[in-house]
Amino acid sequence: MLAASVLADSAVEHYRGSFKNKAMLTPLIVAGLTLAMSLHGTADRRPMAHQARDASYLSAAVTGLLGTGFHIYNVTKKVGGLSWQNVFYGAPLGAPMAILLSGLLGFCSERVRANGGRRRHRVFNLPAGETVATVTALGLLGTSGEAGLLHFRGAFHNPLMALPVTLPPIGAGLLAGAVVNGGARPRGLARWWMRLLVGMGFAGVGFHAYGVSRNMGGWRNWSQNILNGPPLPAPPSFAGLALAGLAALELMREARNA
Amino acid sequence: MLDRNAERGAGDAYPGYDVLAKWRGPSWNEKTREVVAARLQVGDTPQFLTAEEFEILAAVADRVVPQPCSRSPVPVAGLLDRKLRAGVLDGYRAKGLPRDGEAWRRGLRALDAEARARHDRGFAAITDADQDDLLRRCEAGELDAPEWAGMPSRTFFKHRLLRDIALAYYSHPTAWSEVGWGGPASPRGYVRLDFNDRDPWEAAEAKPGREADALRTNRNVR
Amino acid sequence: MSDDGRHSPRARDGRAPDVFRPGGWVSMKEYSDHEAVDFVIVGTGAGGATLACKLAEYGFSVVALDAGPYFRPLEDFASDESEQTKLYWTDDRIVDGDNPLQLGSNNSGKAVGGSTVHFAMVSLRFRPEWFKARTKLGYGADWPIDWREMWAYYTEVEQALKISGPVNYPWGPPRPRYPYRAHPLNAAARALARGCEALGIGWTETPLATLSAPRGLAHPCVYRGFCVTGCSTNAKQSALVTWIPRALSAGAEIRDLAMVGRIETDANGLAVGVHYHRQDKWRFQRARNVVVAGYAIETPRLLLNSATDKFPSGLANSSGLVGKNLMAQANQAVWGEMDEEVRSYKGPPSLAITEHWNYEDDGKDFFGGYAYMSQGPLPQLWANTQATAHGLWGARLVQEMKRYNHVVGLKIVGEMLPQENNRVTLADERDQYGLRIPRVTYSWCDNDRRLIDHSIAFMSRALSAIHAKNIWVQEDDTCHLNGTARMGDRPDSSVVNADCRSWDIPNLWICDGSVFPTVGGANPSLTIQAIACRTADRIRALSRLGEVNLN
Ligand SMILES: Cc1cc2nc3c(=O)[nH]c(=O)nc-3n(C[C@H](O)[C@H](O)[C@H](O)COP(=O)(O)OP(=O)(O)OC[C@H]3O[C@@H](n4cnc5c(N)ncnc54)[C@H](O)[C@@H]3O)c2cc1C
Ligand code: SF4
Repeated sequence: MLAASVLADSAVEHYRGSFKNKAMLTPLIVAGLTLAMSLHGTADRRPMAHQARDASYLSAAVTGLLGTGFHIYNVTKKVGGLSWQNVFYGAPLGAPMAILLSGLLGFCSERVRANGGRRRHRVFNLPAGETVATVTALGLLGTSGEAGLLHFRGAFHNPLMALPVTLPPIGAGLLAGAVVNGGARPRGLARWWMRLLVGMGFAGVGFHAYGVSRNMGGWRNWSQNILNGPPLPAPPSFAGLALAGLAALELMREARNA
Repeated sequence: MLDRNAERGAGDAYPGYDVLAKWRGPSWNEKTREVVAARLQVGDTPQFLTAEEFEILAAVADRVVPQPCSRSPVPVAGLLDRKLRAGVLDGYRAKGLPRDGEAWRRGLRALDAEARARHDRGFAAITDADQDDLLRRCEAGELDAPEWAGMPSRTFFKHRLLRDIALAYYSHPTAWSEVGWGGPASPRGYVRLDFNDRDPWEAAEAKPGREADALRTNRNVR
Repeated sequence: MSDDGRHSPRARDGRAPDVFRPGGWVSMKEYSDHEAVDFVIVGTGAGGATLACKLAEYGFSVVALDAGPYFRPLEDFASDESEQTKLYWTDDRIVDGDNPLQLGSNNSGKAVGGSTVHFAMVSLRFRPEWFKARTKLGYGADWPIDWREMWAYYTEVEQALKISGPVNYPWGPPRPRYPYRAHPLNAAARALARGCEALGIGWTETPLATLSAPRGLAHPCVYRGFCVTGCSTNAKQSALVTWIPRALSAGAEIRDLAMVGRIETDANGLAVGVHYHRQDKWRFQRARNVVVAGYAIETPRLLLNSATDKFPSGLANSSGLVGKNLMAQANQAVWGEMDEEVRSYKGPPSLAITEHWNYEDDGKDFFGGYAYMSQGPLPQLWANTQATAHGLWGARLVQEMKRYNHVVGLKIVGEMLPQENNRVTLADERDQYGLRIPRVTYSWCDNDRRLIDHSIAFMSRALSAIHAKNIWVQEDDTCHLNGTARMGDRPDSSVVNADCRSWDIPNLWICDGSVFPTVGGANPSLTIQAIACRTADRIRALSRLGEVNLN
C-alpha cells in the first residue's frame, strides 16, 4: 500500500522534474520492486523470509536514506538555501523517508513471517508487534509533518486540511501508548483510531481530486493540474501506515494472549 | 495565411516549433482562437491606407522587421492597416504628433517625398540600402521636407513607426514561434519554472549539434 | 465577434455579470437617476471599488459609474497582447515636458475594476517614515495620516485580497502573516535572488495579489504570465473579482460604460450629482455626495472640466493645486542575457523583489527610495522595448528577439519627487464625448535623475554578478501615477483633508491615487485601497456625528 502510494507520488513528482537527473528513476524502480515483492510475499504461502524480498526491502530503506540526502542537497543548493520557498517548492525533504519506511515495514513483516508458527514474533530480538508499532508511529508523525508543510503552503484554505495534521499524530500517540502500556483498552482505542486513519487516507484522495478540479480548466487541463494541484497519490500513505499499525496491534494481541 | 508545411531554415533557434499546433489543446481557449483566427485572415490589401501608402508601409516594414524567404511572410502592413482602421489608439501622443492614423498617413507620404527628392523614385522603389539610409535619417530627426507639416521626423520614427511595426509583427503566431515563446496559455499555464526547465508543451531550443533532437521534440508539442 | 461587454452595458435590468461563471449573472440593486443616492462614485478601480464596497456594507446607498466595460475574465480575456489592449484607457491624451510620460497600456485602465484588472499585483506596504517624509526624511510633504493607523488598514486589505507573500517579510516593522503562501519562483526571480546574494543585500518573494491556493470560485494562479494583459484565470485579486462582487451583494449598483463628463454644483457650492454618458445619451444622477476616483489624470481632468462661474478654476481648486504635483514612479530597467534558458514569460512577472534601497539610507546621494523586481515581458512588449528603448530595428532586432528565452531583467519602482510643474491641464482638443482632453506635462528633477543613476549602477552590478551578458540599460520608462489632488493638513496647501474630503466642497470626496502627497518607492495600489478603507470608516464615523450630507 505504502509502496504503491510512494511509487505513484514519486513518479508524478519526478516527472514534473522531467527526470533531469538519472538518479530520479531510482525511487521508481525501488518502490516498484518493493511493491512487487510484497505482492509476491502475499501470494507466497511459504513461511520462510524470502531472501530476494529481504534484499529489496533493505534496498528500499537505503534508497530512502540516500534520497533524503539528495533532496536536502537539492534544497540547499538553490538560491535562498533552506528557506520556506525551497522547502515548499523544492524537492520534498520528507518524501524519500516514505520509501525508507516501506522498506523497514516490509523487512519487519519478513521477520514475523520467518518466526512462523512460534508464538512470540521477534525482530532483531525485539518483540515484533511493538517494533512495527513504533516504526509506524514514527512514520505517521513524519508523514503528518509533510502533509502539514504542504497544507501550510496551501494556507489551510479548507478547514478539512487540518485533519491529516491532527489525526495521525494522535494515532501515533495511541500506538505509542499501546506499546508502553500493553493493556487491551489502549490497544482497542488505537485500533479504532487506525481504522479511522485508513478511512482518512482514502477520503483524502477524494478531496485531492476535488482540489484538482478547482484548478483552472479542471480535469480537462490535467497535464498541468495533476502536477500543480494537490497530489492524488499522497493521502493513501496514511492508509498504508495505518494498516501496518493494525497489524502491529494484532501481533501485540497475539503476544499478550500467548 | 500561414503555410504550415514550410520547413524552417537551418538557422532556427526552435526548429519545427509552431505555436499553432497547440490550437486545439488546453493552452488555447475559445476567445483566443477567435481573435487569432481573425488575425490569420488578414491579407496584404489595405482597408485604411491608400494603395500607394500601403506599398510604402510594406517597404518600410520590410526594413524594420526583415523576414526570411523560407516561409510565408507575416503581413505586417496588413496587420497595422487593420489596427488603424479599427481606430485603436495608444492612448497618448507626443506634442506635435497628430492622432495615430493621421500621423501614419503624413509620415508615409513624407518618407516617399524624401525618397523622390533624393533618388527620383518613390520609397518603395529605391534600393534596400537607400531605404535604410533614409530611415536612419528619420531616426536622427534629420528629415524636414514640407510634407512633414511640423511633425518631427524623429518623434514619428520612435513613437509611431518603430513601435507600431514591432507590435504588428510580434502579434503574429509565426513571430511567436520564431522566438520560441510558449504562446497563448489559458486554461493551461506552466508548471516547470526554474532555469532550463521546459514543460512538454513548450518550444525546445536547438543546442549546437543537436538540432535534430529539438526538431523531433518540437513536432510533439501540443 | 462575440460581445465582450464593450458595445452595450451589461450591468442593468437588475443584474450584473457574474465574474466567476461564463455567461452568468448576479442580481443587482438599481437606483433611478432622479433618486438622490447617498454616494455616487466616479470610477471603480482600486480606490472607487473599495470605497463602494465598504460604504455599501455600512448601509449607505451607492452608485458607482465606470467609463469602461464590465468583463467576465474567464470568457472575455484572450491570451493575446493585442486583443487585451481593450483593458486600457486609450482615449486621446497629449504628453509633453522634458520627459513625456508613456500612458495607455503602461498606465491606466478603463474597465470595471480599473487599472487593477491589468496591474502586476505587486502589493507592498509603504515604509512608515514615508508618511512623514518632510519631517523625518527632509523632502516632499507629510501625509496627514499616521503610519500605525495605515498598518491596520493594510492588514484589512491584505486579508480581503488574500495576498500571497513570504512567511516573514524582511523589511519594516512586523506585519501579520500574509493570508496565502508565496508562489514558487521562476528563473527570472531566482536570477534576482542570486544577484542580491552576490551583492550581500536582502531579497524576498514579492507579496502578490494572486492566489496560491483556491478561494471560493476563483482558481489559483496557473503561471501563464499574462497578468498585465488581464488574468483569465481569476487568480488575480483585482477589484473586479474582490471588492465589486462584495459591493453588489451589499446593495451597491455598478454602471458600466458610463462616462462622467461633469460634476454639477448648486448655488450653495455643494455637489448635487454627475452628468454621465451612457447608451448614447447624457444622463444625470442625483447624489448627496460625489466621490471622484478616476485615477491621477482623469480625476483632475473631471474637476477642471466641471468649472462653473462660482468655481472658475475648477472644483475643489481654491488652493490652485488640482492637477499639480503629478508623480509617476521611475521604472528604469537593466537587461541582460543568461546562458541558461530563463523563459521569463512563465509566472507573474515580478515574483521576487528587493526593497533594500527603500529601507537603507546610507550611501544615497538622493532623497527617496526604490525597490527592484524581476521581469517577464511578453513578446510584443519585449519587441517594443528592444525597438524603442534599445533602438534596434532591422536584422538586429529580429536577431535579438530570438534570444527572448534567455533574457533577464531587473526593473525599479522608484520614488519621484512632487513638483508643481508636473501637472495635468486641459488641452483645447476634444474627445469622442466632446470633453476637453488632458495634457500631461512631465519633467524629471535632479533628484529623480540621481535616484535613477544609482539604481541603474546597482542593478548593472547585480546582473554582472550573475554572469549575465550583453547588459544594457532601459533609461526612459515610468509607471504608476499619483498626486494631482494631494491630501494635507491645510486648505491652502492641499486639495483634500486626511479623510479624502475636499476642503472647498464638503460633499465632494476624492478617493484614488490622486491624493498621495508623496509616492515612495513601492507600487501604490495596496496603499490606495487601505486609504479607501480608512475613508469609509471615517465617513461612517462622521455621519454618526451628523457631519456628512445625507439629506
Ligand atoms: C501595467 C500596470 C501594472 C501595474 N502594476 C501594479 C502593481 O504591481 N502594484 C500596484 O500596486 N500597482 C500597480 N499598478 C498601478 C495600479 O493599477 C494603480 O495605481 C491603481 O489601480 C490606481 O487606482 P485608482 O483607483 O486611482 O485608479 P484606477 O484603478 O485606474 O481606476 C480608475 C477608474 O476610473 C474610471 N474613470 C476614470 N474617469 C472616469 C470618468 N470620468 N467617468 C467614469 N469612469 C471614469 C476608469 O475607467 C477606471 O476604471 C499598475 C498599473 C499598470 C498600468
Ligand atoms: S500568471 Fe497567474 S495571475 Fe498572472 S495571469 Fe496567469 S494565472 Fe493570472
